[in-house]
Amino acid sequence: MSRKDDILKDRTGFDTTEEIPRGKFAAIMPVSQRAYLEITGSEEKDGIFELGEKEVVIGRSTECDIRLGVQNVSRKHARVLFQNEEYLIEDLGSTNGVLVNGIKVAKCVLRSNDQIEIGGVKLVFNEEKRLHKK
Amino acid sequence: MRSPVEEKMLVTFWGTRGSISTPGRTTEKYGGNTPCVTIENQGTRVILDAGTGIRNLGIELVHEAETRKQPLEIHLFLSHTHWDHIQGLPFFQPAYLKDTQVTIYGSPKKERFLASVLKRQMDYEYFPVSMSALTADIRIQEMSEENIRLGSITIDWEEQVFHPGGSVRYRFSAHGKKVVYATDVELDLFFRRDKQTKKEEAAARDYLQFVHGVDLLIADGMFSEEEYPARVGWGHASIPAVIEAAAKAEVKQLALFHHDPQHSDKYLDELWVEYRSRYLKGPHKMDLFWAREGLTVAV
Repeated sequence: MSRKDDILKDRTGFDTTEEIPRGKFAAIMPVSQRAYLEITGSEEKDGIFELGEKEVVIGRSTECDIRLGVQNVSRKHARVLFQNEEYLIEDLGSTNGVLVNGIKVAKCVLRSNDQIEIGGVKLVFNEEKRLHKK
Repeated sequence: MRSPVEEKMLVTFWGTRGSISTPGRTTEKYGGNTPCVTIENQGTRVILDAGTGIRNLGIELVHEAETRKQPLEIHLFLSHTHWDHIQGLPFFQPAYLKDTQVTIYGSPKKERFLASVLKRQMDYEYFPVSMSALTADIRIQEMSEENIRLGSITIDWEEQVFHPGGSVRYRFSAHGKKVVYATDVELDLFFRRDKQTKKEEAAARDYLQFVHGVDLLIADGMFSEEEYPARVGWGHASIPAVIEAAAKAEVKQLALFHHDPQHSDKYLDELWVEYRSRYLKGPHKMDLFWAREGLTVAV
């Protein structure tokens, strides 16, 4: 029996357009969202940081999740948050600001290929959504 | 003493698209919701226009009210009442909260029309909930000659006639900084003429005075130079017209806004690259960008 037939057989008894049991599709729902910050084009050592759902603080301090040991970076310069299934970056009152695509932002929802600049250090944001079977 | 950071106005874009909402992959970056912007300063918040972008703002405000356990006081300034600027209002959750106070400001030229237009949008034929059924305390206030003062923000305004039905531009001032919201005005009709009439000359002068030297101008730049000739009289400016006027008025930062529904993220990126580089240096140095949803700038 084909997959289509398998789904349709559950509709026995329905004589009009009816809801197809959701369970049949659940296995192919996208469940994984990954995002990365990549340090590029600076004296800072290049690196790729995977972002999860926890807040990530970026700055010069050793307490930061992403540490940028550059003089123009404030101790706690910015943070990346995961809100409403989106990533956003927020300036934590830094001296030199946070630039997204060349614009000084207080806060900004991030999209793939956004170019971020923090105290002269350049970072690129990218995200991907993957299909995974549970 | 307040720090310079605290004194800044925070300007957030909740909807940046003109005419009609345009969800989809090609508009994900700049956004598909129609106009809605907020300006906040020291606890005072004003909302500019109630396009579909106001829906997400409403969700956040309700969350904020619940967290703070304080009723919301909302000030909504409408540039005009074309669909794309009011259509989010029936989906604005705070309007359904009993303790919320909503004041809606708009042009006095409409006389009683403003209240009537907003009510008619929620006629049973169009929407299942009538405006009178909204539980918030909603007041409609036409703008008067007097400036409005809300907390630390002072608001003045002017009528704009070069848009079908007219529109209003607003200027928000706090701690010596100024933000102007001037959308839906066809600047080409009075700036880019070979020979201006007296009316056009006056309109250009008034516009330049109003936006002169402001820290941020949020302006309608809907059409590209190539598109504009086929859209004369539609009530929207071409991108070069807005940029030239802003540069002439020595605007410090310009946010292009009210993006054409046909303009994809890729196309807007290309426009930005093309124009931004021209104004990074030189006598008309100006920081310009294409506004996108979810962006907050500090002024």
